[in-house]
Amino acid sequence: MYITKLLTMRESIVIEGLSKYYDGFLALDKLSLKIKKNEDVALLGPNGAGKTTTLKLLCGLLRPSAGTAYINGVNVMEERERAISMVGTILETPEFYPFLTPVETLSYLGRLREMSGRELKSRIEEVIKLVRLEEWAKVKIEKFSRGMKQRLALAQALLHDPPILILDEPALGLDPRGMMEVREILKKARKEKTVFLSSHLITEVVQVCDKVALIDHGHLLVYDSIPRLKRKYRTSLEGVYLKLTEATI
Amino acid sequence: MSEFEKLKIVTKYELLKQFRRKRFYGALVLTLLAVILVIALYKGLDIPGKLPISDSPEFFALFVTSAGATIPIFAAVFFAGDSIASEFEHKTGYILFPNPVKRSTLVIGKYIACLTVTALIVILAYVATMIALVGIYQQLPIEVFGSLVLALVYANSVLGIAFLYSSVLKGSMGATIATLLTIMLVFGVIEISLIFANIEPWFMHGYAGDSIASVYGISFAAFGGAMPGGGMERNPNPITSFFVMLGYFIVPFILSIWLVKRREML
Ligand SMILES: Nc1ncnc2c1ncn2[C@@H]1O[C@H](COP(=O)(O)OP(=O)(O)OP(=O)(O)O)[C@@H](O)[C@H]1O
Ligand SMILES: [Mg+2]
Repeated sequence: MYITKLLTMRESIVIEGLSKYYDGFLALDKLSLKIKKNEDVALLGPNGAGKTTTLKLLCGLLRPSAGTAYINGVNVMEERERAISMVGTILETPEFYPFLTPVETLSYLGRLREMSGRELKSRIEEVIKLVRLEEWAKVKIEKFSRGMKQRLALAQALLHDPPILILDEPALGLDPRGMMEVREILKKARKEKTVFLSSHLITEVVQVCDKVALIDHGHLLVYDSIPRLKRKYRTSLEGVYLKLTEATI
Repeated sequence: MSEFEKLKIVTKYELLKQFRRKRFYGALVLTLLAVILVIALYKGLDIPGKLPISDSPEFFALFVTSAGATIPIFAAVFFAGDSIASEFEHKTGYILFPNPVKRSTLVIGKYIACLTVTALIVILAYVATMIALVGIYQQLPIEVFGSLVLALVYANSVLGIAFLYSSVLKGSMGATIATLLTIMLVFGVIEISLIFANIEPWFMHGYAGDSIASVYGISFAAFGGAMPGGGMERNPNPITSFFVMLGYFIVPFILSIWLVKRREML
């Protein structure tokens, strides 16, 4: 017990034999993956490959059919709240309470994450500025577009300055400038954080991540650093992706 | 930070959410209109004059508050039906659940907020009745307060049932309808069957809820009309009913917490 704990401590994220069935349909098949502290890993794969499923399992939103996962050595399935306190996350297409404003929403989440007072207030201003929602800080979220909600989702993920970011398609629904801005935010975040993100944007992945885990139909195909993959398959990351994944979904 | 501190935070923001909704203010206005309507009907149609019973502040209060006994049901269902289900249905759970807070704390905080707004509606109905009592009879029968307590416990039991459905079902609408059907149809049918079988259904939700009226101590036989089951009086004991209604809250609510803890955000 103690030994496994020690061994998992050096890793930010450890996924061990994780499987997930949805009503008999195998969406994720014995996935194992280790992400070291400060490593930045992209989860790539076609639609329906199991990316969102993996990230949801990692955040304790789903119960695995088999296997387990650790965040900074804390078992997600056993101590969900403690594990998640070290994580900032965006999952699927998140929604917010429509009657609250970004400031109120972030205050609520910040309080739950044990922030308070002036520290919380100035941090809220900071993240709102970071995602460029200053003009909208006190507008009810019911008036927001998809992309604005996505920006707010990124703001809340960064709010408590977590050491680990778990992001499911963070640039989804953003305009070209928004995508670029998110990329810049993540490029900065990766310096001091572990980033684990799923994405369909190869350009984003190349700039933000140093390793790629490619999955298809719930199976892990490769897990390696981007330069090594390029060398091995003698092509671009996009080429590797097209070579290894199947055309059928 | 203790879980209790977090409960206070959850409750505070859940209350903020409730007070931001038009639903709350709509319920306030409708409740007031309903009470005024019942009072107008009581006076306008001279209800006591049509019954072998004399007009009294107790009878007035009984009539107004029990005609308004659906207010606790609708208020509770209105606020609680979507409390849990909407986190899943409207995907707000993707933001709320990945936080260092226990699911049970979230459920309890939501419940306290729902109970607060529901209680405000019920209390408003009673305050309006009390003002009318003082205005018309210059009297305030003490039983009104007993009736209010029972109405609150009744509303609370509806909350428990609504939370249970809200924890199981996918949609808020489904949870709301299921709660209403259970209380008004399923429980009602069982209760009537028991009465026909000559068994006093003291343990049934609706029968216990009738203590809101029986607490005034006016015999229901006064209403005349044929009683099913050989004229058994609908006269639930207020104390027993109090605990029965508490049971109808506690069991579904504990079940609700257990279910939400295990529920997956699919
Ligand atoms: N709630 C659910 N019920 C049943 N099947 C599901 C559910 N969620 C996902 N699946 C199935 O599991 C598989 C993996 O889905 P997942 O959402 O993890 O894919 P993904 O890699 O995130 O895809 P995308 O790139 O489209 O977001 C898919 O085949 C999908 O049909
Ligand atoms: Mg996905």
